[in-house]
Amino acid sequence: MSSETAEAQGLKVVDAYDLDDELRSILKPGEMIRDGQGRRHRLPRYFYEIPSHEVALVTRLTPHFGLNEFIFSDLKEASRLHGYPRYVPCAIRILAFYLEQFRNAAGASLHIAVNGGYRSPSHKLSLNASPHMWGTAADVYRVGTNILKTREAIEKYNDIAEDLSDEVSVLPYGHVTGKNADDHVHMDLGYITLVPREISEDRMEQPQENRPRFAFEERRRKDRRGPPVEAEET
Amino acid sequence: MVARAKKNEERLPVPPEKDSVAAAEVSLYRNVLKIKQEHHLADLGISFYDADTTIQWSYNADHYFHAASTMKLAVLLGVFRQVARGELALDAPVHIRNRFTSIVNQEPYMLDLGRDADPDVYGHLGKTLTVRELAYWMITKSSNLATNLLVDVVGIPTIQRGLDELEIDGMKVLRGVEDTRAFEAGLNNEVTANGLLKMLRLIADGKAYSQAVCDEMLEIMLEQQYRSGIPAGLPKAARVAHKTGNISTVHHDAGIVYLEGRKPYVLVILTSFPAEQGRGKAVAEVSRDIFNALAGSVYE
Repeated sequence: MSSETAEAQGLKVVDAYDLDDELRSILKPGEMIRDGQGRRHRLPRYFYEIPSHEVALVTRLTPHFGLNEFIFSDLKEASRLHGYPRYVPCAIRILAFYLEQFRNAAGASLHIAVNGGYRSPSHKLSLNASPHMWGTAADVYRVGTNILKTREAIEKYNDIAEDLSDEVSVLPYGHVTGKNADDHVHMDLGYITLVPREISEDRMEQPQENRPRFAFEERRRKDRRGPPVEAEET
Repeated sequence: MVARAKKNEERLPVPPEKDSVAAAEVSLYRNVLKIKQEHHLADLGISFYDADTTIQWSYNADHYFHAASTMKLAVLLGVFRQVARGELALDAPVHIRNRFTSIVNQEPYMLDLGRDADPDVYGHLGKTLTVRELAYWMITKSSNLATNLLVDVVGIPTIQRGLDELEIDGMKVLRGVEDTRAFEAGLNNEVTANGLLKMLRLIADGKAYSQAVCDEMLEIMLEQQYRSGIPAGLPKAARVAHKTGNISTVHHDAGIVYLEGRKPYVLVILTSFPAEQGRGKAVAEVSRDIFNALAGSVYE
């Protein structure tokens, strides 16, 4: 689980505070959100920027899991996130690491459902805080050729996932949305946020808007930039 | 007792004078009653409008029937309402998942794969199909799974609002398909022949939201793969943009008939019968009689 894996394959880490207004309103970096029990959790702030569909397809997070498998969503996801660049929390690679262990223990390929990987806070299924919004949950609907739709199959793979580590949690078989699962195995690692090594966390406040609020801010900005320079003709 | 039964029975009208619209209508009425009696139908509702002659004719056309799969036309209209408003893209992906929520107790239910064996949609479980693909399978192969997925996408209130906006009375959409608890509670989608006729006329005339949207809907409806209803009573050259509806006690068909060299006519035939009887060929026979009445000749 090298911290350079994703970067070595061309992925840039971004501080979502620096993204445009629309993306910040979709990803809600650093915002607090309540889970179903009323507990508050802080949403992730550091994301991998996926520049194109091709990059998503070729980027491997582990030997058997590609980045594209974690961002496959339907029209319930914010429409901006159907285009590129797309953003996925950096913790996604921890999830991929555990899924690789899950795959080895299950002895068959795991298939993540549509909307079953990362879901932004603006996704229509994101009603309360869910580890899907942290990139630390996966809904597996098929193991090998076995489509998971029976209590027996779901409980079998729930047991395998839970045996991997104390960090791994699953939803028991049942029919109550959000508390149970009856057509997939839900596996998650809780609300993990990952701060990449190269990130300096010196800026703690989220910008309210991109333009300066006061004239002196604009003057200072210009001072920092230095005097205008004529573009060289080529 | 016998006398009262005879009194209540619909009586065949007097044979008509030849070569008049009135004569054709009376003849049609006689034939329809005959078909109803011969096929032991519990109820029959018919409505048609011919754009070529402007003749409109109906029988029991405001009587509500269980909609069966004709409700999928309302779902189609709801989907294209959202498309026309720019709130939904036809190429937007939809997760194929067999899990829906009952309108009665909000409990989840699944469709019975055996009853709705449409591999075109079920084969994509866990993956996605576009809105356009789902609309196609919902109409052309009457896919229940595609229907419920689209109902989830646009929502029942939007579907009903679409009908209300276009002033289509006679179509009540409450729920998706195979919501058994709702069925047991008597909560069903219902249609009248006049309601379906109004909707189809708007589509045929390009007046449901826009001409482009209507063309898209017609293109899908013309690809209908179940042809034992209205098309079975027509010459093979006829093109029919239609939607059938079948459950154990009803057999319906509602469509727009395109014939070479004339404007189309819109026809809705709704039938209900005892479950033990099964559906016969009443819809095809009514379709043939109406074609004959319009064509002024007998087609065998």
